[in-house]
Amino acid sequence: MKELSLNILDISKNSVKAGATLTEILLDETDSVLTLTIRDNGCGMKKEMVASVTDPFTTTRTTRSVGMGIPLLKLAAEMTGGSFEIKSKHESEYPDNHGTVVTAVFNKNHIDFTPLGDIPSSITTLIQGSPDTDFLFKHTLTSGQVGVDTRELRKTLGDVPLDTFEVILWIEEYLKEQYEALK
Amino acid sequence: MTVNDLLKVEGFSSVVLCEADREIQGVYIGDLLSWVMGRAKSGDAWITIMSNVNTLAVATLADTSCIILAEGVSLDEGVKETAQAKGINVISTPLSSYSAALKLYSVLKL
Repeated sequence: MKELSLNILDISKNSVKAGATLTEILLDETDSVLTLTIRDNGCGMKKEMVASVTDPFTTTRTTRSVGMGIPLLKLAAEMTGGSFEIKSKHESEYPDNHGTVVTAVFNKNHIDFTPLGDIPSSITTLIQGSPDTDFLFKHTLTSGQVGVDTRELRKTLGDVPLDTFEVILWIEEYLKEQYEALK
Repeated sequence: MTVNDLLKVEGFSSVVLCEADREIQGVYIGDLLSWVMGRAKSGDAWITIMSNVNTLAVATLADTSCIILAEGVSLDEGVKETAQAKGINVISTPLSSYSAALKLYSVLKL
C-alpha cells in the first residue's frame, strides 16, 4: 500500500469480518519507531490458520477470505528493518477471551518506510462501513495523543446511528482537529 | 511472442520456467505490490525488482505471463521452489527496468 492507513483499513476489516464487537487500533510513535497494534475480540483463529495467514498463497487462490492485507503489512514492516507478529485465540479454545492481535513495528527513519497517510479519513471510513461494531482508535505521539472511542460517542448519540452523515463528518473533523492541535 | 521466445533474446535468462508457451500480451512495471495487484493485466510480462513470496502471489492474482526480475535480482531458494510449485514463470535480466522495457518494446511489436 502506498500509505499505511490503507493497510490499517484492510486489516481492521478482517476484525469486523471475524465478528469483533470491539476493534482497537493503536499507533504508538516515538522519533524513530512506529508500532501499530490492531486488537479485536472476534472469533480468533486456530493455530494452523495463524501460521498460514502470512503466507500469501493460502489467502489468494480460491478462498480469499483474508486477502493480501496481512502479507503486505508484514512486508511493509520488515522492509524498514522492523518486525511483525500475529497472535490469536480461537473461540473454540477460549470461549471467554478470544480474538486476534496484530503487531507491526516500523523503523520510521528507514528510506522504505511507508508514510501513515490520511488516518482521519481511514478511521472514519472504517466506522462508516461497520457502524454497529465499536472501534477504539488511539494514536500516541511524542507531542500528545489523538483518538476516538465509538463506545463514548454512542453514549452521547443515543439512538442516532454512527453512520449518519453528520456524525461521520463530525468524526473526521474531530480527528483532524486533534492532529492540528498537536502541530 | 511467448515466454520461451523472450528467453532467446539476449539479456533474458530463465529462473523458473513452468509454462514456456505462455503468450506475452503486454508489459507492466512496478515494485509496490499492492499497486501492481490491481493494475497489471492478465498476460502481462511484469518487470520488477521485488523478489519475495508476495511477488509470486501478486503474479498469480494478476495472472501475469511472467515475472521479469530486473537489475540482476535473484530468487531465494525457498521462493524459487514456491514459484515452481505454483507454476509461475520467472525470468532474470541484468538490465534496469527501463532498459528491459525498451528491449521488450522492440521485440514484442505490440
